[in-house]
Amino acid sequence: MIAERIYRFLLHAYPPEFRAKYGREMVLVFRDQCRDGDVRAPGFWVRVFWDVVRSAPALRAHATQTVEVFMKIAAVVTVLLGAFGILGSVREWIAGSRQPMSTTYVLAVVLGVFAFVVLVGAGVAILRQRRHGARLALVVSLVLAIAARLLFPWMGILAQLAGIALPVGLLIALYWPSKSSTLGTA
Amino acid sequence: MVTKRRPPEDYLPLPPATFHILLALAAGERHGYAIMKDVSARSEGRVRLGPGTLYGALKRLLEAGLVAETEERADPEHDDERRRYYRLTPLGLSVARAEAQRLDAIVRAARRSKLLGTRPA
Repeated sequence: MIAERIYRFLLHAYPPEFRAKYGREMVLVFRDQCRDGDVRAPGFWVRVFWDVVRSAPALRAHATQTVEVFMKIAAVVTVLLGAFGILGSVREWIAGSRQPMSTTYVLAVVLGVFAFVVLVGAGVAILRQRRHGARLALVVSLVLAIAARLLFPWMGILAQLAGIALPVGLLIALYWPSKSSTLGTA
Repeated sequence: MVTKRRPPEDYLPLPPATFHILLALAAGERHGYAIMKDVSARSEGRVRLGPGTLYGALKRLLEAGLVAETEERADPEHDDERRRYYRLTPLGLSVARAEAQRLDAIVRAARRSKLLGTRPA
């Protein structure tokens, strides 16, 4: 039966483990649909394709745990950028110490160091799946980085991206609603 | 290891297709195609589940412990192929009830706001 062969081919859109568990049942259900419906009607195939397009990507994303992988990569990047930020702040301190330093400048660099240390802590918290601790650390790091930048304009573009843009992006990702994902959206 | 059971309200709101599947299973255990036909009949044809949507939802319901599989057997109404049957668990029943109560509260609020008639149609 050609219709069933087409449907079996479409099943490749689903993750292999899902296909292994439910593929046979899905083919049986499709066979029932063919028996009770009009296989030659375009509407029948529109519904079949729409069902695959609607359900397969979500199951693939769930199977590869895309969100978890993304958060792990983001956490490692955060730790690395935080470490580079600490090194950059120390280098800034050494460069600045060659001439008389104002209190504002010293305070700005110290705040910058603290901001990046807390950012490293946020990365570690994300890796250990401590979402609440990570959010708190990111907010503290963001406030310190902004304060350091406002006190004295010493941060380069990369340091501003790591100290300000990265915590904002991670906070959005950590506050993104994930509750409905347990039972899907269909 | 003892896992702490989540309260039914934690699963709400349910996606519409998921609630329809739980409603179909509240009437008794069913195999996949019987669930599809039940959902279509119950919703007067407005909700039509395809196999992908149905089994994707069933997979999530099984993982969450709201639905359980029963033994495979043939359906005498269809053919001699053995089919997997599904039934509601006590948690699934509690979640379906909690969702029905949530929707009922919304409908009552709509009635109070005169968006719906005071008596059910």
